[in-house]
Amino acid sequence: MAELIVHEEDYRGELDLQLWKRIARHALPFKGSLVGLMVNGAVVATVDVLQPIVTAGLIDEATKGEAADRTRLILLGGAYLALIVLICISINLFIRQAGRVATGVAFDLRMKGFRRLQELSFSYFDVRPVGWLVARLTSDCSKVSSLMPWFLLDLVWGSCLITGIIAAMFWLDWRLALVVLCIVPPLVLATIFFKKRLLESSRMVRKTNSQITAGFNECITGVRTTKSLVREEANLEEFQELTNSMFLHSVRNALQSAVYLPIVISLGSIGLGLALWRGGIDVSAATGLTFGTLVAFMQYAGLLHMPIQELATRFTDLQAAQAAAERIQSLLDTEADIRDSDAVTARVAAAKPAPGDAIDGEPARIRDIEFRNVSFAYKENEPVITDLNLRIPAGTTVALVGATGGGKSTIVNLLSRFYEPTGGEILMNGVEYRERPLDWLHGSLGIVLQTPYLFSGTILENIRYGRLDATDAEVYAAAEIVNAHAFISRLPDGYSSEVGESGGLLSTGQRQLIALARAVLADPQIFIMDEATSSVDTETERLIQDGIDAALADRTAFVIAHRLSTIRSADVILVIDRGRIIERGNHESLMAKDGHYAQLYRKQFVSEREHAVLEGQPAQKEQ
Amino acid sequence: MLTKLHAIWQLMEGQRLRYGAAVAALVLASCFLYLVPLVPQIVIDGVLLDSTATPSRVVTHGVALLGGAEFLKHNLWWPALVIAVITVCAGVFTYLRGRLSALAAEEIARGLRERFYDHVQHLPCRYFDTVETGDLIQRCTSDVETIRTFLSTQIVEIGRAVLMLLIPIPLMLLIDLRMTLASLVLVPPVVIFSFAYFFRIRRVFKDKDEAEGVMTATIQQNLTGIRVVKAFNRASFETNRFEGHNRVHRELDYRLYALFADYWSVSDLLCFLQRAVVVGVGIVLVAMGELPIGAFFFFLSAVSMFIWPVRMMGRILSELGKSLVALERIEEILHEERESCAATDLRPELEGEITFEHVTFHHGAGQAVLEDVSFSVTPGETLAIIGPSGSGKSTIVNLLLRFYDYESGSIRLDGHELTTLARDHVRASMAVVMQEPFLYSRSLGDNITIGRADAHNEEMVEAATVASIHESIERFEDGYQTLVGERGVTLSGGQRQRVALARALLTRPAVLVLDDALRAVDTETEAAIIEALQSRHGQQTTLIIAHRISTLMHADRILVLEDGRIAQQGTHDELRSTDGLYRRLLEIQASGVDELVGATGGTDHG
Repeated sequence: MAELIVHEEDYRGELDLQLWKRIARHALPFKGSLVGLMVNGAVVATVDVLQPIVTAGLIDEATKGEAADRTRLILLGGAYLALIVLICISINLFIRQAGRVATGVAFDLRMKGFRRLQELSFSYFDVRPVGWLVARLTSDCSKVSSLMPWFLLDLVWGSCLITGIIAAMFWLDWRLALVVLCIVPPLVLATIFFKKRLLESSRMVRKTNSQITAGFNECITGVRTTKSLVREEANLEEFQELTNSMFLHSVRNALQSAVYLPIVISLGSIGLGLALWRGGIDVSAATGLTFGTLVAFMQYAGLLHMPIQELATRFTDLQAAQAAAERIQSLLDTEADIRDSDAVTARVAAAKPAPGDAIDGEPARIRDIEFRNVSFAYKENEPVITDLNLRIPAGTTVALVGATGGGKSTIVNLLSRFYEPTGGEILMNGVEYRERPLDWLHGSLGIVLQTPYLFSGTILENIRYGRLDATDAEVYAAAEIVNAHAFISRLPDGYSSEVGESGGLLSTGQRQLIALARAVLADPQIFIMDEATSSVDTETERLIQDGIDAALADRTAFVIAHRLSTIRSADVILVIDRGRIIERGNHESLMAKDGHYAQLYRKQFVSEREHAVLEGQPAQKEQ
Repeated sequence: MLTKLHAIWQLMEGQRLRYGAAVAALVLASCFLYLVPLVPQIVIDGVLLDSTATPSRVVTHGVALLGGAEFLKHNLWWPALVIAVITVCAGVFTYLRGRLSALAAEEIARGLRERFYDHVQHLPCRYFDTVETGDLIQRCTSDVETIRTFLSTQIVEIGRAVLMLLIPIPLMLLIDLRMTLASLVLVPPVVIFSFAYFFRIRRVFKDKDEAEGVMTATIQQNLTGIRVVKAFNRASFETNRFEGHNRVHRELDYRLYALFADYWSVSDLLCFLQRAVVVGVGIVLVAMGELPIGAFFFFLSAVSMFIWPVRMMGRILSELGKSLVALERIEEILHEERESCAATDLRPELEGEITFEHVTFHHGAGQAVLEDVSFSVTPGETLAIIGPSGSGKSTIVNLLLRFYDYESGSIRLDGHELTTLARDHVRASMAVVMQEPFLYSRSLGDNITIGRADAHNEEMVEAATVASIHESIERFEDGYQTLVGERGVTLSGGQRQRVALARALLTRPAVLVLDDALRAVDTETEAAIIEALQSRHGQQTTLIIAHRISTLMHADRILVLEDGRIAQQGTHDELRSTDGLYRRLLEIQASGVDELVGATGGTDHG
């Protein structure tokens, strides 16, 4: 995780063309708009080049005074206006086309990224904070997609404009053109020199800025600790180091701009001076150079820096967005490590399942589950589960007990195929579960997590998440089974009550009941539950306990159990320690054995009773 | 409006001189910039052209200034050089303007950030109870950034536009009145259009931001709940839901592009038309022999120089509202009152004697959280407090640390009334470990020594050992150098509590407070910690708030708190023999043993 984040701000100085080629492919569906962009870019550049020429024609005609040809003047004037209208239409069109490409590519990238994230396995999410992933689909996608059309447009516009200006100048007067073009090499050099530095300094500004945000975050969330440690002064001093470096980087960035822009503009003016000098000599020597042409040259001299500057900006944008592009592409390139094998996919495609069959044509019903010599490690040489053997017939409730970190969660994650064993195999109906489709297995499970997660929306929507086509009546029935109906009915909006972000408007106990109802509604073949340890008042505790009992009745179930009543009523209790089953049996047999289980049981017994005494009355919350 | 201008003026304090100098540089730079097209005008009209039109006084003076027509005619490099020199001067002043305004704006931003940080740290705890963290952080970061942009860019751009527009006017008037009018005729429509357009489409920006917020929230929720999504096999349902939000966002985003397309093309049209008016009127005048070409060139250049900044100004003016809102939001916080200081602010050496006498405390207008609480602790004594949640245990700690101030009764430290002591002094003499301790995002070692920077390495390790966290830390690859938080390891609740305990022990406080600080620590480890603390008994006054009998049975005295009142107090032995909450808890413990004994007829695990 640390690595991932540290590299976030990194960028390589070199442009990675391979990467950008792959990124550019995402814009291919918008061919029409892309072509339109190029056409309009070329049109705008052409108009930019033609305007001084038309002005020159007007001037030359007008300077003839009495001899001026009126129709020619009107014609040229008309052309001037036509060019203006044309360029404005082009501008309008290319912004719309750029919008179509930018918003379309962003939409597509987000869809692709989102779909990919739905496929990836737990191990991917274990090491990446949610906020980090969200930023990939939001800001990174915007950055990359909005850059593409403008890059293309400016590439076409800029190169057309430079060639156009040069061509026009040579056409008008090649010697004068050579003189004025002297300013191009220094323009290019200055631009490259400063853009590189600007890129670097603005990167530092962004980086420091995110450190400052982190600083404020710490300042606010840790305010009590800071007060109790009397660290206000020391914190401020450390924060001042950040603001100082922010000051330095921002000023450096601003100074680079403050030097660069005058240099570019001065070079333009110097071009103008050169035109005036050489052109003036020609005009006064009457070599045929007209005033109109002289004015046109002076205008071109002022225009030259624009395409160069713009092109350079786009290339630095590309460089600045490279890290974002890399991150998006790497997300899209990540293959889910747990997915159906090709053989399974082929079987699913060929199967014509009869009623009662799964999508691969094999029976959908799970009759028994077997762990055979199963071992698992997240990292090599750090086994979490070692040589686990277990056989559970359908209808059995299995309670997993033992200390935190012993491997209980890993066992249920393996069973759910959120992870796959690194050794041994898991069999369902005697068939290795990797030879059955993932969708079938996941469709057969109902899972209640320790910290139940609710999506913002109504209670009804949240319960219905268990089975999307459930009727309202079925939702109520599920709530009834787990004792949730009563409290829901007491809420002002009943089932239509909003649960808030992450269910924040409900109490912990209420969230647990709704998560239970959700799983019960799914009516799964295998019920998997990680019992919550968080404390709720006794009344809710009793409701939850009864709800769990109802949910588990006559079902194959794996429960990471903390409540005595759940543990006692299990058919099989497994005591898990350091990745192994150290005791197994039912409550009576294990108590009689007076081993680890008996010890655990007694501790839990005391703590539940203590809890009942201390939290007995519905507590008035201490703030 | 006037008060807001005043607020901006206040912000500029200390940097006003710099801003003044920046304005001066801006004026000079603009003047030089307009001199650039003036030189070709002088050369063309005064030297190269034999026109019927009488050149303006500007040209005749200019020619004289540059050395006379004859000289110029044969030395055209000279005006070219003059242009070069002028542009360099313009460049230098432009640079100075940029430098001065950047320094001023960044200096103000730095001051503002530091003032904010300092201020937030000193706001009372009551303030943080009511405020939303996200909103506060937003004010500290993006609102300050808005102000910075306003000071460094917007003000400067508006100033530039105004000056660029005003400076050439006298010059233009001197050259030709008709052309001057022609050059300015479309300026008001350009400004008004830009301003009005952006003012009117504010709503769309807001809608788009909201759609983006919804889309982001959808992703956020999906990923936070990804385990639920997978558990119920809901990938396609989620994807469809996301697609809807994604689509809405795309449409609004595109709508903004379309609106921008209209804005840029129409405002460009206006700007180009302004130039066309100059070209049209100019050409007619040139053809009539009433305007020399050089003057025509000057007007054409001048219009191109000011029309774009002027368009920009309209847009910025429409965005000023945002900056003013940000300013308001910032001021709001800066005007919040800090924690009060007592008039006396005594800082005596404290030994750790605590006395509560008839203390009553309410949260707002509600029911009393503490009512008539009296007890005392002698230096070195260990006092344990137990009670149901909501009984006021943590409030005692909060009052003791002066996070809140009590309303009636008296709390004394070593005989000094708490409110007469300096807050920081009271806090420095205590060390508190909270149930959900906060660790700074720095190394574990730094986190432990943060309360006493001069601690030796051995002392740090000793504190960590007493807190039973030393071994866990050693197991990390980087040991004490391991970073905590997003950039480093994620610690479990119990580990965080133990690090915080080590931190507290290291400060060697007069009073050590454990506010349910071992709740997430498993029983064995807790026993080891309690034992280690026992061996330090007498070194400091200790307050332990706990839920488990085992944590507090060895305390010198035990306080049972119920509904904000002291229900019982005494030693373990005294309370054991009196009917009450404490005895009930003890009986449960015993019954646990009985249960086991009953089931197995065997061993006692104490």
